[in-house]
Parts: sequence; structure tokens; C-alpha cells
Amino acid sequence: MKMPKKNDINNNKKKRKDKENNKQQDQDYKLELELEKEPIQQQQHVFVLVDENAFSNHNNDQEEELEEEARVEESDSSEDEVGPRNTIGDVPLEWYKDEPHIGYDITGKKIIKLPKKDMLDSLLATADNSKNWRKIIDQLNDEEVQLAKNEIGLIQNLLRGKTPHPDVDPYAPYVDWFEWKDSIHPLSSAQEPKRRFIPSKWETKKVVKLIRAIREGRIKQDKPKEEPQLYLLWGDDSNSTEKSGHGLSYIPAPKPKVPGHEESYNPSVEYIPTQEEVDSYQLMYEEDRPKFIPKRFESLRSVPAYENALKESFERCLDLYLCPRARKKRINIDPESLKPKLPNKKDLKPYPSTCYLEYKGHMGAVMSISVEVSGQWLASGSTDGTVRVWEVETGRCLRIWDVGEAVHYVAWNPVQERKILAVALGHDVLLLNTGFGDEEEQQKVKELLHIEAAQDPDESGATSTVSWVQYDKYEGVRLRHPKAVSKVEWHFGGNYFSTVMPTGDSRAILLHQLSKKHTQTIPSKVRGLPVSSVFHPSRNTIFIATKKSIRQYDLQKKCKLVRKLEPGVREISSIAIHPAGDNVIVGSHEGKLCWFDVDLSSQPYRKLKCHKKDITDVAFHPSYPLFASCSDDCIAYVFHGKVYSDLNQNPLIVPLEKLQGHTSTNGRGVMDCTFHPRQPWLFTAGADSVIKLYCH
Amino acid sequence: MPKHYRPPGKKKEGNAAKYMTRTKAVKYLQVSLQDFRRLCVLKGVFPREPKKKFEGNHKTYYHVKDIMFLAHEPLLEKFREMRAHGHKVNKALAKKNKERAERLKAARPTYKLDRLVRERYPSFIDALRDLDDCLSMVHLFATLPAVEREKIEVSRIHNCRRLSHEWQAYISRTHSLRKVFIAVKGIYYQAEVQGQKITWLTPHALQQVLTDEVDFNVMLTFLEFYETLLAFVNFRLYHSINVKYPPILDPQLEALAEDLYALFRYFSASSRAQVLENQDLSPSQPENADLGSVGTEGDESDLRLAQLQLQLPTNTPGALMQLVEKAGVEDTDDDETRECKSLFKNLKFFLSREVQRESLLFIIPAFGGVVSWEGGGAPFKETDEGITHQIVDRPSQGHMFLSREYVQPQWVFDCVNARILLPTDIYAVGRVPPPHLSPFVDNEAEGYVPEYAEKIKRLQAAARKELMPMPGLDIEDIEDPQNILVAGVISRTEANEAAEEQRKISMLQNQYHDELNMEVQGVPYSASGVHRTMQIPVEDTESKKETLPDSELPVNEEIMMSNKKRKLYKAMKMGEDKKKNANKLLEKRKKMAEAKKSA
Repeated sequence: MKMPKKNDINNNKKKRKDKENNKQQDQDYKLELELEKEPIQQQQHVFVLVDENAFSNHNNDQEEELEEEARVEESDSSEDEVGPRNTIGDVPLEWYKDEPHIGYDITGKKIIKLPKKDMLDSLLATADNSKNWRKIIDQLNDEEVQLAKNEIGLIQNLLRGKTPHPDVDPYAPYVDWFEWKDSIHPLSSAQEPKRRFIPSKWETKKVVKLIRAIREGRIKQDKPKEEPQLYLLWGDDSNSTEKSGHGLSYIPAPKPKVPGHEESYNPSVEYIPTQEEVDSYQLMYEEDRPKFIPKRFESLRSVPAYENALKESFERCLDLYLCPRARKKRINIDPESLKPKLPNKKDLKPYPSTCYLEYKGHMGAVMSISVEVSGQWLASGSTDGTVRVWEVETGRCLRIWDVGEAVHYVAWNPVQERKILAVALGHDVLLLNTGFGDEEEQQKVKELLHIEAAQDPDESGATSTVSWVQYDKYEGVRLRHPKAVSKVEWHFGGNYFSTVMPTGDSRAILLHQLSKKHTQTIPSKVRGLPVSSVFHPSRNTIFIATKKSIRQYDLQKKCKLVRKLEPGVREISSIAIHPAGDNVIVGSHEGKLCWFDVDLSSQPYRKLKCHKKDITDVAFHPSYPLFASCSDDCIAYVFHGKVYSDLNQNPLIVPLEKLQGHTSTNGRGVMDCTFHPRQPWLFTAGADSVIKLYCH
Repeated sequence: MPKHYRPPGKKKEGNAAKYMTRTKAVKYLQVSLQDFRRLCVLKGVFPREPKKKFEGNHKTYYHVKDIMFLAHEPLLEKFREMRAHGHKVNKALAKKNKERAERLKAARPTYKLDRLVRERYPSFIDALRDLDDCLSMVHLFATLPAVEREKIEVSRIHNCRRLSHEWQAYISRTHSLRKVFIAVKGIYYQAEVQGQKITWLTPHALQQVLTDEVDFNVMLTFLEFYETLLAFVNFRLYHSINVKYPPILDPQLEALAEDLYALFRYFSASSRAQVLENQDLSPSQPENADLGSVGTEGDESDLRLAQLQLQLPTNTPGALMQLVEKAGVEDTDDDETRECKSLFKNLKFFLSREVQRESLLFIIPAFGGVVSWEGGGAPFKETDEGITHQIVDRPSQGHMFLSREYVQPQWVFDCVNARILLPTDIYAVGRVPPPHLSPFVDNEAEGYVPEYAEKIKRLQAAARKELMPMPGLDIEDIEDPQNILVAGVISRTEANEAAEEQRKISMLQNQYHDELNMEVQGVPYSASGVHRTMQIPVEDTESKKETLPDSELPVNEEIMMSNKKRKLYKAMKMGEDKKKNANKLLEKRKKMAEAKKSA
């Protein structure tokens, strides 16, 4: 039988189209009639069964005839060459979507799109024409095509999953061409095999296998499923033990957090964040962002299912089996109880607390101040190149020495009769005769500060690195050092003084004798960069502070090392000795103050982090139990520091007062602080060129 | 040489000997990571924090003893067996031996967890203590849909539902529910069982959202254990009130998804049967009565035959509830239970169609009320004359009975938390109810008391006004209802003793103040210890007022603290500030809201 091909359908379509163009309606009807007849003919095949082959041939012939007939009658032999009306070829139609035409005909003219039918038109069309439902739109050519009945049948067959062509019969009766009727002998003369008559060996084997499996229990007969049995698991709780079976204590997981007011479905108004607050959450880091944003529902029925319910439950599960558990002791105390109990400040009076006087006059930062032993005069040195002496009680500037170079350090001679001021500036140290005191004293001072010119060249030039020269500008002596001098400190006897040259290597610390005008180095080697050197207030020892440590040397035993103190701070900036000599305070560049009990340990007894910036100076009061520190953060701190004569009792340290008032200049704050020798007063020198006096 | 070089032959020491990383543990146990996880979940083994993390900070460490504990677990062998079984099935399938595969599949090895429950919780109290997560999880799964692809089976969901209802029925029956709270996440309940406070969360009874972020394998492993645990806990609890477990439920009510109500009936029936058994020596009589009553009550659903022989179904639910109460009167009740039981006493509730039934059916009987609903199996109809409260959750109510009050569901929850019957007018139909406050927050400790909480406090105080003020209590104390709560519990004689004690405490407080004074006044710290004696002169208290202002001066104690203490102090201060700021924010918002309202 001839199977319909794809082309046939196309051809049929084309035929239909042509026919419609020619309005040959009668042809159409004829073909339909033919189609209607066909099933009847097929039925005939079933019953007749006479010369099937011939009949099928006939049938084929008939079909061919039909087709030929159609072809002839349609008279379009050139039909196959006639392509579609539209010549755009096999291109996507959507290229012409926005154009008024759908393509071009064979002459190159545009084919204009048909006006679109709306729903009403199509409805009317169905009402007018009963065959309207058979019309489809040919997208390529943009025209309506009416499908013939056989074409519709074809489509229906396709939809039903049947063979598309109506003529094909998948269940055609089988025709057995062998003629059984007259044969009396079997086709094969072979004997029936024996295996057809004996039981199967393999079956037996299989059965035996199964039997064995059942016997051995490998195959179990179906048992009714056991219900999970529940019983009284915890009969008596008497044998409960704290530890679990494996000897480790069980740490119960922390319970989930109980909800607060804000998690309510209807919280009070104040728990709901405003829109701005919600927006501001977006700017936060993800960890800080609140996980739950309270929301208000007007009634219980409007509460939706919580979308994170499963997720949160899952996270809880993860926490339970993945998080390490540890017992942590939670301190539940009042934070105030952490503070040490200190005696009241009122008991510790007097101490400097308020600014009483300001000494103004310097043009630059005041680097150093020093109070005369009697407490009458205050000397100050500044970066503007002047040294001034002030009357303490009035604030009057009594004398000015213009030394022409930035002054680093000033120090009064500790002996009351010798009103000599040592000044460190640049490479020089000046010993100035201040001119105070009565005539007798003046005479002595003048004698002390007199240098014979002849003595100089052979002695100082040969043995010492420092030359003692008469200062020509003012009355006094000038000591020329090879390197810059940072500090001058007097021995309590008033005859000796030491100078510090931080870059002086082996000659960094020098000892000078005023009476003999003699200079000598320290026999021991100084390790590290020296920062400061201080004489012991009563014994002949010297403390030398380098950046990391403090060493005490005995001056009478050829500078033997007595002890070494390790403050453990980054960089030492200043040091002060308690008047009794057994306690030392050390200030550091990181703002830490260390109190050493020298006899107790080489480690600090107490470290106080009291400043934010470098500590510039520390000072003890000579008689009151007070000490102070000053720093670049423009603060001077006053402490109570009581040392008991009982060796078993630790010194008592109490912070007393934060003295503020100086302003920061070029990043420096308070440069120096000194106590009044008799009164509980504190002088501070600021980088803002002001000296302040704080009284109680 | 590596950093921690250990010469050969030398044993590990310290943390390295005590702890093991997870990778090593898995290797040691020779199981897959999945099986290891399951084992850990089922056995309750968790990582621990060694003092020194010798293999890096990002690793998890288990204690070696824990791992040994796992290594000796029979379940491990069972897992291996199951794995081998899986191989067998696969092999059979690969050889196209379908029969064998089927046979094998039917005989899959199973395991039981009861031994693990006992091992993890040696005493019943331990189990109760850890029940929070278990309950939340079971309640969550009770509302989940069965999902084939996530292996959430229908039977497990049903089991969860059953277990959760059994638990709720027990709590309700013993009146041990204490707090309830409707949150956005769901409804929180807190019950007190054998002195343990158990808090759990049930999701809102709505379709739950399934997300991809969740690994159901882990959750189902947890659920496996929790189901077993809760079943045994329920068994024990039911045993303690002499009710048979597992309960046999009325199939008709079960079909109507009124499991909870069915459970209540089961309870009451069993208790009634007991009462009857105690009363009547001949067992035949009650049986006859049973059968007769069933015969007369055609509308009443049939109980199972087995049940019938033991129990007595009741004619009217009202009688049933009374029965429940009668049975509940036991001398072992503590005061709080008594209070809870009588909160809704003699009140009859009716739930409208739109109200979420589950939670209210649980809560109202737990506080002594009688409840019915619209729908099949309900104990009484909406037209019942005895109904005192109808719970409605709709914008407006059409027909209203004058004899009853119409309230929103929140009223019940607020009443339960306040333990008094609140006025119903602010909870009326169509109104926005007052804020619903969490009963879990201690307002005083938090430092911020919401407005409505204060109102409730006043109402509570008013409700308890008949209580005589105790000796030794000031008027301020009476205003504080918590004191009264405490005071109400103790008897008069005890109160006297308490007052005595309070006096003592106040004495001690005075003394403390005086000692402070001593310090303030300038007795040096070291010396003051010597002078301190028990008798403090009276004039000291007068001088107190003069000296106190001095202590306000800023004393820089902070720099005298050690680093550790200073940091701790700062952290504590930070926490305090945070709390304060939060409270300030609340007050600010409140002011703004008030300003808006007035404007």
C-alpha cells in the first residue's frame, strides 16, 4: 500500500488552495464523496477474502486513478514547481513582525498583511459559515486556508496516536499462504526429544537450593511486623548518677532563648522600629544587624506562618551536634565591686588640686623647670633660648638669661647657700650665678665659678673630653661637651653633678666635680641608650636609666653594679627616686607608670596605666607622700604614694587628681613637673609656654 | 623538625592525648561521615573545647573518651550491617534476581533506641530537663506536610501529631501549663512537670514553608531520637497518673481530627472507670451501665469494644469535664497548680469557626475551663445557654447572644499569663486588642515596664485586695504584686517569721551603710578594719547625710585595677550601657508614638 508522504499533505494543501482560487467547489465535494465511500469498501474486504492481492492492486489502482483524475482535472501539471506565494525563504517570520508586509511575491512586490480579525469578526464568521471551523491561517503566506475533510481526518488520527493516513489498516487480517488442507504428514520427521519426558534437573537444583536456604534460615518466612514496644523505661530513679557511661560529664546544651516582648505578634508600639531605623539596619555589618524585626498584626487571624520556622529548627539541630560545648562560669557580680577599695581622697589631703598661679613670659615651649631648695624661686628653661627665674609666690619674673639656644634642662644646686643654676643647652652645660642670696654667699659662689685660664689647656685638653670655660656673656662657667646634652642632675651634696649625652656612647654619662672643675666618665660600661641619670638622695649611688632598664651603681666602689630594675615597658622616658631612696617610679613612652620597691623585686610592684600618651616626667615630693606624672596628653596626675617604715607593709598608692589646664602645642602637652620643696604644690611646665602652679 | 616533635615510642601527652579531631575520629571508627553524624546525634556526643587546639583553630575536637564510647556502641555494628544489606540488595538487583531483592528488602535490619534513651538520661528528671528541643521539633513536624523526595513519611508525621497531642493532653489534664505566648514564630508554652520548667514552641497551624536550605537527613535523625524519647516520657507520665498508654482513641473523633478532645475523653473515661472500680466491688454492674448508656445515646460515637469493657463513656461533655476535675483533685497539688486549675473554673467557652482551635483546645481545659467548637464531634452547640465566653476572630459578629461575652483569642492568653480574668471590653470583636506581652520577661530586671504590664499589675493588685497586708510589709511592698504573690502563698504564722527576718535584713543593711560611712569619713582603709565592731553608734547615721555627697567625687579607681579586671569591668559596663540604650530607645519611640497619636 502506498503510504502518504509529507509532500502529499503539502500537495493537498496546495491543491486546496488552487481549487479555492479557482472556486472549483464541485471537485471538492466529489473527493469527499469518494472518501466516504472507502470504509465500506474495506468492510467488503473482510468478508469477501477473494483474491486479496488483486483487490489490493485494484485498490491501489483506484487510488492512483483518483489522484490522476484530480491532477488532470485541476490541470496544474506545473504545480510542484509553484512555490509558496511568499518568497522570503526559510527565515524566521518574526523578522517581519513589525512590518506592514509579510514578504515579497515572485515579482518582488510586497505582500501586504491581511487586516487582523478580531474576536467579533471570527464569531460572526462562524455564525455565517458552518465550515468556518475548518479554516486555518497559513502563517507564511498570511492567508486563510480551508482544510478538506480528509486532511482533518488525518489530523485527528495524529492526535489520537493512530496511523495518520486513513487508508492504512494496522489490524489487517493475517493471510496464511501455506495450504494445510490436504497435507497428511508432519513437516518434520524428527523424534520427540527425551527431555520432554523427564523432570528438569535445574528446577530440582533450584528447589533444593531454596529448601536449604529455608532450612538454614537464610530465607525467613514473613513475620508480622513488631510494633514498637513501649515500657516503663525509668522504673526507679534511685540509681541515677551524675556522670554518663563513659566517665565524662554531660554538658547540657543551653536552652533556646525565651522570647521577649518584641517577638509578640502584637507588641506594644514602642517595640516596633521606625522605617528609618529599619533602613539603617542595612548599613550595619551583617553580624550586628538584628535578625528579627518586630512586626505588628492587628488580629490573630492575620498572622502568617513563620517562614524561617524550619530553618531555625535546623540551625538549632546543627548547634546541638556541631557546636563544641564547654562549661563557662558566668560572673554575676556588680561591676562596681571590681574596683579596688581605696581610702577616701579626703583623708589624703593636702594635695595639689586647683590651678593657683600661671607664670607667663616664655615665647616657646617650657622644657624644664626647677625650684630652689628654699622654695622661693622657680627657674625655667624654654625653647625660645631663655632661662628665667620667677618668684614663686607672686609670679614675677626676676631674671632673664638669653642664652641663645633652646634650653633642655635646668636644675638648681641643692645646697641652699650655693644659688647656682645648671642649664643644659645644645652641646653645653652652663653653671650660672643667679645673684641671689646675701653677699657672703655671693662671694663663695663667685669663687666656685672662677676658672684660671692657665689651667685649662693642659688639663682639660689632655685628660677630659669636656672643657671648663668661663662663660663670657653672663657670670658663670661653660662646659663644652662633644655631643648634645639632655640632662643635668645634681648630687645631694651640691659638689658633683652628672650630665647625660644620649649619643655619647661610652662617655654618655659624665660626672663633674664643681670644686675641682674636674670631669670623669663612669668606669662601667653603659648598656643601651641612656635616658636619664639620678643620684640616690642619701647614698653615693647613681641610677642610670637606659631605654629598657635601670641600673644602680655604687660610686664609691668604682661604679660597681648594685642592682638592675626591669620595668618591662617599651621605652623609659623618666625616672624619679623616693626621698627615702627605696622606691623608684619610672615613666614610659607608652603612658605607663611603674612603681618599684627596690628591696622587694626587680619587677615593678605596680604598673599604672594612667596616661594615653608619653609620660614626659615623673616627680616625688621631698616631704609629703605625693608623686606626680605629666604627659603629652596635657594631663598631670597626682598620686598619693605612702611608703611605710614597716617593711612588711606594701606602699599605698592612690590616684588623687587629674590636673588639666595645659593646651596641646605641636603634639606636646605638659613637659615637666616639679613639687614645691616645702608645700604640697605642683609646678607644671607646658609646651604652650605657660608654667602653672597647682595648690591644695 | 616539626613544631611538636614527638620521638617515636613516646606517648602523646596533654590535649593531644585527650582530644581528637573529627577527621581522625571518623577514620578511627571506620564509618562514613554521614554515619558518624548520625551516631553523634543519636548518642548525644558533641565536640568539646580543648584548652589548646593543637591542630588548628578551625577544626572540631572530640574527646577521646567520647570516641571510644562511640566505638563500643552496638549501633555502629548495626549501621555496618545495614550497609552490607544495602550491598546485598544492590547485588541481587544487578543480577536481575528480583525475588531475592524483594525478600532482602523485606528483612531489612532495624534498630531500637530505647537503650540509648536510658543511657543518655539515666533518670527521668534528666529527660524532662532536656525535653525543650524535643517538644519543639516534634510539634514542628506535626504540622509539616509529608514530602516524598525528602523522605518525610506520612507515618512519621502522624506519629509526631499523636505524640504531641498525648503530651498536650497530659499537660492539660494535670494543669501544669504555666505560661503561653503568641509570637510571630509560633506559640510558646511553658509547663512545669515535676519541678522542671519545660518551654516549647509550636508553629502556627498553617501550611509551613519548606526551604532548600535545610538538610532533612539531619533533622530526621534528630526526630528519630526525639520520637522515641517523647514516647517513653509520655508512657512514664501516663503511668504516673494511672492511665494506660498508648491510649485508645475514639475512631470517629480521630477521623474528625479532634485527637486532643478524644484524648481528654480517654483520660476521663479511664479515671471514671477507676473510680467506679474502687467504688463497686462487682465489675459487672458498670459494664451493664456502659452498654445501656451507649444504647440510649445514639448520637454518641462508639468507643472500641476493648475500651467499653474498661471505661465508661459519658453522656454529656459537661459531666465529662466535671469528671476530669473530680479526678484531678489530688492532695499532691501545689498552690500554683491549684491556682491554674481554678482560673477558668465555671466558665464555658465556645470557639467560632475561624478561630485556630488547636492551641485554645489545649489551653482552656488546662486552666479549668470547658470548651466547645463549631464542627463535628463538638461537645455542645453554639446555642448552649451556659456558654459564658465566645471566642471570635473576625472583624464583626452578626448575631450576638446577650448572655455571653465575645472576645478575641488573645484574651485567653493574656488571662492565663496574668492569672486573673481581665476585663473583656478591650478585647471585643473588631477592636485592635491591647499589646500582647511576653510572660517570659522580667520587666524589673530589664529596666523597662511596658504600659500594659503596669495596668495588668494594678488589676492583679485589685483582684488580691482582700488579702490582709502582712506585718512588716510596707505600703510600697503591697503595691509590688510580686511580693504579694510570694506573701499570699505563705501562711500567717510563716509571715510573721518572714517579717522578723526582713527586720533583720534591714538591720544588716543599715549596718552596711554605716560601714560605708566609716570609710567615707576618713578612717584609713587599713585602720578601719580594727575599729569595726558590731555596735555602731546611732549618731553615725546622722553624719551619713553629710558625708555621702563626697563619694560622688570622681575617684579614678579604674587605673588602679589590673588589666584583667579593667577589661572585665569595661565589658560589664558596656553590657549595662547597651541595655540602658535599648530602654532609652524604647522610651523615645513611645514618646514619638504618643506625640503622633495626640497630633
